[in-house]
Amino acid sequence: MSTNSIVEKPELLLQASTAVKKSALWQWAALGAILLGSFGHLLIKLGVTGGAHNIGGESLVARIGHYFLQPAALAGLAIYGAGTLLWIYAVSQRNISFLYPLTALTYVTVALGGKFMFGETISAERWLGIGVVMIGVAMLQFSAKEDRS
Amino acid sequence: MNPLTALWLSIVLGACAQIFLKRGVGHQQLAGGAHSYLTLVRSGWVWAWGICFLFATGLWMVAISTMQVSYAFPLLSVGYLVVAVLSIVFLKERVPASRWVAIAVIAVGVALIFRSQ
Repeated sequence: MSTNSIVEKPELLLQASTAVKKSALWQWAALGAILLGSFGHLLIKLGVTGGAHNIGGESLVARIGHYFLQPAALAGLAIYGAGTLLWIYAVSQRNISFLYPLTALTYVTVALGGKFMFGETISAERWLGIGVVMIGVAMLQFSAKEDRS
Repeated sequence: MNPLTALWLSIVLGACAQIFLKRGVGHQQLAGGAHSYLTLVRSGWVWAWGICFLFATGLWMVAISTMQVSYAFPLLSVGYLVVAVLSIVFLKERVPASRWVAIAVIAVGVALIFRSQ
């Protein structure tokens, strides 16, 4: 049917495979950004959670400074930063209006991390709320075209 | 500090950080290269962003040190509403109706999560 069949024009196959490779890269970058971003938050939680270093009497600034020095929290911040770099790459390859709704996935990955890393019980109501927030975040993009600055 | 207070404070500070950043970079010509980046570093707005961002992150740590992350993290999306309000007041931005609808949907989700504690 097609006049551009791969049998007639084998170079099309090469073009197609290059296109797949190119598309795969930004897809992996976007996925990596979401996973690293979520994992970053979970590591921060790991670093600051637990009783051993939760000193209630200290001043707020001292407490925050103490948290910033926790190895897992520092690793979490670094991984979060690495995710941001991947995100910047993905954004450079595809329109933000297409990519932005994907960030809503972070709410699911972080919640799953809470469940499996920290044994949090997530009620049906909370899952529903998370789902509604995700829809809302994805909807933000519908208004993006109305922006002029 | 009450973890929920820390969370709300973190959200407001994080939103303020975004407004400061926009004020700082809004009228910069970044195409200018190294020179304009230097201008950014000298900008008080950009420093205000950095300091707010740092404290917002610190307060976020205080919040999740005792809260469930599956509860606290989606609540951060209140920030979309706060940024929209601040951008109208301080940046004179116009928020289209479709965005308010999206923010209202987010608010419904946040209310559901808030109740799930």
